[in-house]
Amino acid sequence: MADAAAHPPARALRARESRQRRTAWALAAPALALMVLILLVPVGVAGALSFTDYSLGNPGFDWVGTENYEKLFTRSTYARMFTATFTYVLTVVPLSVALGLGAALLINSLTHLRELYKTIYFLPVMATLIAMAIAWEFMLHPSIGVINQTLAKGCGTWLEALWPWLAGHCAEGMPLWLGDKRYAIWVIAFVGVWQGFGFNMVLYLAGLTSVHRELYHAAEMDGAKSAWERFRLVTWPALGPTTVFVVTISCIRAFQVFDTIEAFYPIGAGPGKTAYVMMYAIYEKGIEQNLIGIGAAITMLFLVFVMMITVVQRWLVERKVHY
Amino acid sequence: MTRDWWKHLILILGAIIVIAPFYTMVSYSLKSPGEIDRGEGGFFGRQEIMVDEQCVKLRDPNRDEVEAAALRFPGQSQNAIREALLEEARAECSSRPVVFNYTQAFTQAPLLRYLLNGVIVTVSIFLIQIVVALPAAYALAKLRFWGREAVFGLVLFCLLIPVHAIALPLYIMLAKLGFTNTYAALVIPWTISVFGIFLMRQFFMTVPDDLIDAARMDGMSEFAIVWRVMLPTAIPALLAFAIFSVVAHWNDYFWPRIVVTGNRDLFTPPLGLREFKGGGDGNMFGPMMASATVIVLPLIVAFLLAQRRFIEGITLSGMK
Repeated sequence: MADAAAHPPARALRARESRQRRTAWALAAPALALMVLILLVPVGVAGALSFTDYSLGNPGFDWVGTENYEKLFTRSTYARMFTATFTYVLTVVPLSVALGLGAALLINSLTHLRELYKTIYFLPVMATLIAMAIAWEFMLHPSIGVINQTLAKGCGTWLEALWPWLAGHCAEGMPLWLGDKRYAIWVIAFVGVWQGFGFNMVLYLAGLTSVHRELYHAAEMDGAKSAWERFRLVTWPALGPTTVFVVTISCIRAFQVFDTIEAFYPIGAGPGKTAYVMMYAIYEKGIEQNLIGIGAAITMLFLVFVMMITVVQRWLVERKVHY
Repeated sequence: MTRDWWKHLILILGAIIVIAPFYTMVSYSLKSPGEIDRGEGGFFGRQEIMVDEQCVKLRDPNRDEVEAAALRFPGQSQNAIREALLEEARAECSSRPVVFNYTQAFTQAPLLRYLLNGVIVTVSIFLIQIVVALPAAYALAKLRFWGREAVFGLVLFCLLIPVHAIALPLYIMLAKLGFTNTYAALVIPWTISVFGIFLMRQFFMTVPDDLIDAARMDGMSEFAIVWRVMLPTAIPALLAFAIFSVVAHWNDYFWPRIVVTGNRDLFTPPLGLREFKGGGDGNMFGPMMASATVIVLPLIVAFLLAQRRFIEGITLSGMK
């Protein structure tokens, strides 16, 4: 009898626990199923297909071993792909991070108009990139574009003497920008920086609010007189975690560049394929040309890059990022 | 303010570069083709009445029309009637450049349909994301069950996979199921927001257990707790997530480009704009920029009205 009196609560507890377990699984099940179907299965599918010569519409396929990957590392098209991708990423990431930080520091030190600058710099982050790419294309138009028209005004003035580049173009005609092999990828990178640095600025502004004022006083006591010394000793270390995050997210976004390139070059990814970035290659090979094996191989490589970046980030975060 | 002048100088120069393409876009949407070509007219253009030659050509009267109009112009020669009709057509085909550009934007392509598609797709994505993510986030934050750590680990792992990167296998899977060129194809890959689950879980962790226990005492089921107790507490976080999600999918170009081929009825605004660009000749720059303005405007206006919330929402991913 005493036993029975002690047991029911325990049994009820266990019953409640098992009921809670079932509900919990029921609540998580849809998300879990979609996660597996939409995120994990495709990674597996891409991995498997990257070893085949599959094409959509074909009844079967053959296993081709590592042939697709060998192509990626031997053919000149893909050498161009890596060049374009890394040129873009290695230009856009440092510039958009540096400009984001610079803008945040300047704005943070102001007493007036802070909100206005913040709003303006954040506009490109919100705007539909393909629409803005078309607007940039008009501005970069070789003859009617505002950029070349402005540059042309400098011809024949003292600016020519000061700026050899301008003098050269005044003599031989204004640059074609997007149509010129030498400039294309840099112009695209410029648009990437234009679009992304406001995002980084906002993250840095948030990071700056958490830097303690006392630290600056302490640094000043210790003889850090100049603004640069204060930045080097206090601000930059305090922004460490923000920087790690900003760099990671900028990298991942930069790797995924596609909209601007497709808007500028409906076919061919730029003069001499100088803007043949990875996402464009996946699109061209996998979707347009239906060469799914090679498209899947690029996809896998892309995922490896993204994962590597994030692994480095998490490792840095775990070290708490104190320089 | 005076000793900060050099800071303002730098920031203003930056602001000019940032605003330049917006300025160009809106300005082109107001000007006539001639003004665009010659780079004249300042921001607004001169807004002189212009004649749309294409419209006049389309209304070029044929023999039947000339004869039918003979009643209106009694006693005149065929040629004179023809001239009069052409004159009428010219009058009806003239408009101010701004009116011309914006009417063309809506009539050359079914822009309204594209905008509607944009709304349908972004709203469905957001609603499904919430329906899927909220219960999962609640379970991960507040319920104890065997396997919870494993599920959460999976969420953290999936955060590493950008959906755009796996577009090719997703496309093949959807094509095999016959889903390409449907709304479903536009929405399905985004139904699971791992980030949304993660974010909501972090938020729910801060909700006191007492609140949930009280609801349980009242006899509410766990399912009801998710929607009637947790959802209301999560409104601020949900709003931020809504902005994050809507902005991303309204502007998304890559995924619609892959799964919607040719079927204009399914075009989202960015796809419509691209089609406009592909088919446009020099005269269509104005109307094209008018469509671009119409597509960009809703988010920009919303942003200007609720800046703080937008910045919070878009930089959500920075709150990890």
